[in-house]
Formats: sequence, structure tokens, C-alpha cells
Amino acid sequence: MISRDEVLAVIYAAMESLNEELDEGSKIAVAADTKLFGADAVIDSLSLVSIIIDVESGASDAFGFPVVLTDDRAINEPVSPFTSPDALADYMLILAAENE
Amino acid sequence: MGYEGKTVLVTGSRRGVGKTITQHFLDKGATVIGFAKGESSIDHPSYHHFQVDVGVPAEVQAAFGQIAKAFPGIDILINNAAVLTSQYAMIMPPAAAQAMLNVNLFGAFMVSREAAKTMRKRKWGRIINIGSMAASLEPIGDSVYAATKAGISTMTNVFAKELGPLNVTCNTVGITAIDSDMLAQLPRHKIEEIIAGLPVPRFAQADDILNVIDFFASERSSYITAQTVFLGGVN
Repeated sequence: MISRDEVLAVIYAAMESLNEELDEGSKIAVAADTKLFGADAVIDSLSLVSIIIDVESGASDAFGFPVVLTDDRAINEPVSPFTSPDALADYMLILAAENE
Repeated sequence: MGYEGKTVLVTGSRRGVGKTITQHFLDKGATVIGFAKGESSIDHPSYHHFQVDVGVPAEVQAAFGQIAKAFPGIDILINNAAVLTSQYAMIMPPAAAQAMLNVNLFGAFMVSREAAKTMRKRKWGRIINIGSMAASLEPIGDSVYAATKAGISTMTNVFAKELGPLNVTCNTVGITAIDSDMLAQLPRHKIEEIIAGLPVPRFAQADDILNVIDFFASERSSYITAQTVFLGGVN
């Protein structure tokens, strides 16, 4: 069974990877409540795309099944899974439970 | 101009223009990955064939899963795969129309989408899509084909905006008629009539196409993006 910490580790790795590409003054806090999407997001849309792609790829490798975050379901969730690492972890745990 | 160290993906690599482009990159030192529905028709140590129907998203994604394990990424993508049924719209078989949408437009989208992910990290890439004079000339019988090729140019330009910050350029080569299996499906006299009306009234040669591809692919063309270059004076 995949734990919340394992999911967050994948998300944090994607955020660290993004930080490597950002200027010193633009780096983001690698934390569960960092705003990734929405009016108060701390990153631009292309950076969010970057995180999503890295999380999909990292999670698929780590968990051993294809993790797809860019389907209609994710987009139609009442609260966007991309709002923060916390929200994304919640969503990914649902996907993981369905895959077990 | 050499392509040593570059990995090039060509869709529709098995025959026609795609095979010519594939051979060109191989001759210039590239590693080439070919996508085609059928088996490989190219025997070269630097050629790697994947049997993929680009109109089927799951097949495209599965192929990119394999590519990720064996290659560092895609440097240059040539979206060439296309199917053509030319027929009056009122009698165009719906399945043929759907196939053109799936392969020519949606297929190019899916392959570009996945290839762009591999270009993203390395901050370098060239996406070159094969368009057609049909997009501009809008010939009778080509309602869907011409629409897909016009769509390719528009799609390319949006990709150019999205990928510009990643140093990935996206351009279209609008090719004219060239002797190929695809062209052989059409009445020769109709093609000749169209060709006769072009500013340069002759069929395209392979090098006409390769010249523009080399231009778009070159290091010096990093400031050239969201462009469609038509051959033969079509505009």
C-alpha cells in the first residue's frame, strides 16, 4: 500500500527539479501547502505543467503502474488536485487505492 | 550540416516522403527512430523502428515509454505520417474522413505532446511538421485532408508559443506534390493541373523538402518558430 509520505516524496522531487531551473529569487518552498494552482499560485502555468509531467513520470516509476494526472477526471474534480502538494497527494492516493 | 549526436523521430518512416527524410538524417549521422503502422523498410544500424499507429494514443504513449528507457530523448521530431482520401464530401466515407483526422492531426498532436516532454528537460528541440499545399489551395475532394493540414499549421503555431520558453521551435513545411505512394492514389491529370498553376510549375523533388527541414532543424534557426514555409510558390 502506497503511503502519503511516498506520494509527497514524488511531488517534492518534482518541485525540487523545478527549483533547479528557476532563478534564485523565484525558487518555491517545497512544502505541502505551497500554492501551485489558482489565483494565489506561486508558479506560472508552464512551471505547473513541468511539475505535473515530472510527478506523472516519477509516480509511474515509483508505484509500478501508470499514473495519469491529465485526464478529464482530474480536470473535473470539484477541488483541483493541482492546488497544492497536499491536494495532489490526496488525489494520487485515490488513484493508488483504485489500482490496488 | 551533420546530425551526429542527435536523435530524430520521424513518423510515417516506412515509405514515401517519410522514408526519404529518415534516410537523409541517417546519412547525416543522426540516430533515427521511426514510427509506422507496418514493419520496417529501412535497414541501418542507427535506425530503430517502432510499429505504431499514431492515431491511437495508447500506442503512441506505449512507444514513448519504450523510447524513454533506451534513448536520452528526442531532439528533432518530424511529424510526417498522414493518410489521404480525396473525394467529394457528399460521398466521402465517414471512416476515411475520421482516419485523416486521427492520423494527420490528432496523431501529430499526440506525438508532439510526448516528444515535447523529452525536449523540455534539455531545453532544446525542433518540431517540424509536414503540411501541404492543400491547406492553401483547398482543392476539390480535399475537404478533410486540407482541413487537417491547415490544422497542422495552426497547431504548430500554438505549440511554438507553449514551447518557446523551452528553446523548442515548431514549424511547418507545406509541401507540394511529390511522386509518392500517396500521390499515386490521385488522378495524375488533376495533380498536373494544380502544379501548372503554381509559380514554380513542377513537382517537388526530395531535396526541396530536405532543404527546408535542414533550415528549420539547424542550430542557427533558434529564432525561427511558428512559421509555415510552402514550396513552389504556394502561399
